[in-house]
Amino acid sequence: MKNPLRKRVIREIKKQWMKYIVLFLLMTVTIGFVSGMFVANDSMEKAANDAFEKYNIEDGHFNLKNEATSELINEFEKQDITIYKQYYKEFKEDYKGKDDDKNVRIRVFKMREEINKACLLEGRFPDKDDEIVIDRMHADNNGISVGDMIRIDGYEAEVVGLVSFSDYTCLFENSTEIMFDALTFDVGAVTEEFYDKIEGKQIYQYAYLFDDEPKDEDENKELSDKLIENVAVSCIQNGNEITDFVPEYANKAIHFAPDDFGSDKIMCEVLLIVLVVVLAFIFAITINNTIVNEAAVIGTLRASGYTRGELLIHYISLPVIITLVAAVVGNVMGYTTFKDLVVKMYYNSYSLPKYTTLWNADGFVKTTVYPLLIMILVCTIVIYKKLRIAPLKFLRRDLRTSKRKKAMRLPRWKFLSRFRLRILFQNLADYGVMFIGILFVQIMLVFALGMPATVNNYKDDIKEYMLADYQYILKSNVDSEGNIINTDEESAEKYSVASLETTDGVHVGEGITIYGYMDESRYFEIDEDLDEDNVYISKAYSDKFGIDKGDSITLKEQYDSRKYSFKVKGIYDLPGTLAVFMPNDNFNKVFEKDKEAFTGFLSENEIKDIDNKQIMTVVTQDDMLKIARQLDHSMGAYMKYFSVICMIFALLLIYLLTKLIIEKNAGSISMIKVLGYNNKEINSLYIRLTSIVVVIAALATSFLGVLFVGEIWKIYMYQLDGWFEYYMGTQRLIQAVVMIIISYAIVAAMDVVRIKKIPMTDALKNVE
Amino acid sequence: MSKDFSYDDLKDEEKKEFLKVSQVNKAYGTGDSRQEVLRGMDFSVAKGEFCVLLGPSGSGKSTLLNIIGGIDSADDGYISIGGDKLRDMDEKALTNYRRKHLGYVFQLYNLIPNLNVKENIEVGAYLSDNSLDTDELLHTLGLYEHRYKLPNQLSGGQQQRTSIGRAIVKNPDILLCDEPTGALDYNTSKEILKLIEEVNEKYGNTIIMVTHNEAIQQMADHVIKLRDGKVRKNIYNENKVKAQDLDW
Repeated sequence: MKNPLRKRVIREIKKQWMKYIVLFLLMTVTIGFVSGMFVANDSMEKAANDAFEKYNIEDGHFNLKNEATSELINEFEKQDITIYKQYYKEFKEDYKGKDDDKNVRIRVFKMREEINKACLLEGRFPDKDDEIVIDRMHADNNGISVGDMIRIDGYEAEVVGLVSFSDYTCLFENSTEIMFDALTFDVGAVTEEFYDKIEGKQIYQYAYLFDDEPKDEDENKELSDKLIENVAVSCIQNGNEITDFVPEYANKAIHFAPDDFGSDKIMCEVLLIVLVVVLAFIFAITINNTIVNEAAVIGTLRASGYTRGELLIHYISLPVIITLVAAVVGNVMGYTTFKDLVVKMYYNSYSLPKYTTLWNADGFVKTTVYPLLIMILVCTIVIYKKLRIAPLKFLRRDLRTSKRKKAMRLPRWKFLSRFRLRILFQNLADYGVMFIGILFVQIMLVFALGMPATVNNYKDDIKEYMLADYQYILKSNVDSEGNIINTDEESAEKYSVASLETTDGVHVGEGITIYGYMDESRYFEIDEDLDEDNVYISKAYSDKFGIDKGDSITLKEQYDSRKYSFKVKGIYDLPGTLAVFMPNDNFNKVFEKDKEAFTGFLSENEIKDIDNKQIMTVVTQDDMLKIARQLDHSMGAYMKYFSVICMIFALLLIYLLTKLIIEKNAGSISMIKVLGYNNKEINSLYIRLTSIVVVIAALATSFLGVLFVGEIWKIYMYQLDGWFEYYMGTQRLIQAVVMIIISYAIVAAMDVVRIKKIPMTDALKNVE
Repeated sequence: MSKDFSYDDLKDEEKKEFLKVSQVNKAYGTGDSRQEVLRGMDFSVAKGEFCVLLGPSGSGKSTLLNIIGGIDSADDGYISIGGDKLRDMDEKALTNYRRKHLGYVFQLYNLIPNLNVKENIEVGAYLSDNSLDTDELLHTLGLYEHRYKLPNQLSGGQQQRTSIGRAIVKNPDILLCDEPTGALDYNTSKEILKLIEEVNEKYGNTIIMVTHNEAIQQMADHVIKLRDGKVRKNIYNENKVKAQDLDW
């Protein structure tokens, strides 16, 4: 015979359908989203991994200052690699509807048939002059469709297809950038004939594949390190110069998206666990309240021979069933609606190739087994403690577990205040879970509101992040006739710049910019005289790597093994940039340059009297805003939705918990109604108390949320090149608190009605 | 200790002392608040006997019933059922003992509110390997017409009949009744007493009923009068009165 108690489960759900629907929805949406995240991530990750073989992705590439001779290429290939030319030309891109002041750049390749092949997503590949395929995401971001015309410098070309370039799934213009930029950077491919026709600055880039595939990442790194040195030596011997070297594992344009999949999965796993724990506690409290109400029945059942185990199974069967159904429905939604949503989010950020939805066993287990285990564990711990009480105590409705014989002494407050305090102590567990629930929502809210605030703060303070409005890097400090390049621009000042990389700390191999400044510089406010091995470092460098004044740092050249050690004499207040500062004379000594050497100019205004051919790069505010633009585009809109979802979550969680508190106290509320208290007085006891708890929780958790998200942000930034700080701001902090309070206000209005509906007969029933 | 007790093949001598209460003491509290509830309680009940424990409030009758039921324990002395001493049983064995051999009826019914009459009785049937036929029992209880009603749709008497049904459906060796008529009016009380009498006659269960109603003693085979935790009188009724003839 099946246990007849099982029939109660469905009836309990029917009776309290609103509560269980809310719990079911919260769990289903969470499981669905996380499942969708797992499915989408793994499907796309598989597509990204398969792409290495399918599209023959390079093992690395390097750029040379001049075109390599066939002898030099032979020399390279003696290093057990095969070289593939993948020259490209860079142009300004123009298209219909583009803002005039928007500087959009396009990198145009010949159609690559052997290596780094493109995945066609829409249209077709070009087969004649004046046709081009461009990156799908850049096209989406800028409203360019197949059939549109774009202008690459002086040439008109029809966009015949939208593609994902296998070596540009994330549109990083170069691997030293903090953030990719799919808004103002584009990659395209044309026929060989058309490529030869269009005139522009050509970059001599060579991709390579190892003849024998490295066994693992360590061997890959070892081989790549050796290769860098050998290629650099061969170049020097052949009168050429290596200007960039990016092994595949360090190529952000290839790796950023798959790496992001991995970190998002971990975040979602944590999100799932935390939320299921919160929901499990809500279930546990619900069951606990039921056990208190059914004490005499439980006593009778225990006296009749029902075991604790049977009762435990009976009481946890409802949360387990709801969790199981939520897991099934959530997973179905995970493979459909939520997967599509997550894929859309990723496609909004990355230029990914086509993928096939794959069955994800690991995701299914995690989104099914984790919630079930957590639910069983939390409910068992809470309920079993209660069920350990002797049957006789159940029969006597004496379920106190505290050994305290007298009530806790309270301060000599007014009666109602003391009454409230008693209610608080009596419902401490419920209010505790409410605090944790609000903390959970607040962390998500702080994230949702803080992300745009951080980006906006960066935008607003961009001047602080820059040494000067214009930062020119010259190809050489002398012109073709050997004269030192100069300018009449009054605000211009010479400086030097170089790049080294870290050898230790939180992020090995991260690029550090070394600046050399002139005496009495207007752009570097460092007055201290520094010896050759003494430097200042930027605040961002100090914060990220935890380096203080007096510490020593060791940096190395990017393409060879030369190392440099410096002693930090001070921290220079330049956020956002990981940099080292030294007088220009010291710079020239350290890097063995001429005494008068410099790299370029810093200027407040645009320099108009230097020939463009002499200029290698100009860094302006617009370049610095790239990161903010991309973050805003990738996440800005989602964050608005996310904050609304957080508010709904807050509303539902608070609704559930206040409902539990009122249900638990229904007898007492009924009794004080019998005694003659009016609804206003009862509300002042129960609603005001909960309001005080919610306001305190909202305030306290907002600060805790900022601390928590700030730490998560640091961990995130440790993985990236660069550093800028998480910023929430008072206004957003207040907004987060207000959103929680508004959610509660809606619930409180419902609670007023709920309290009003409690009949006086409840008290009489309990007396019986 | 965990065993599957069976009391079907007891010898006559064992049947006479089926339930044995031997020098049982029980006190609650410590120091000044210590209260001795049972003091050297000593008696036995034969198998199939209808025994009434009679006494005023505080005489220890409910405590004794709870100790017999294995949901409370004696400080000294022992209680044995068919020769098995409860004090030698661990918690698992005690649960098994209650499960297989005891039925409990309380003054306040303690029915499960969201199960109907039939299902509440099935809650008891689930515990037994040889439970009575539920539908037949519903007829015996006079509840067949009401079998799909929830407890809050029943009168007090009907609720108590349901709780008796839940207790006896598993055909227990001992039926423990704690003031089963305490919350009922005169007519309903008599109905319930008639039912218990019928159950005793029909199924042969040993019945231990706690009451403070003096009139009920007339229908019992064996009356044990308690006061201040001691047995004051141990009476065997030779002229039992039928429940329907009781008056108070």
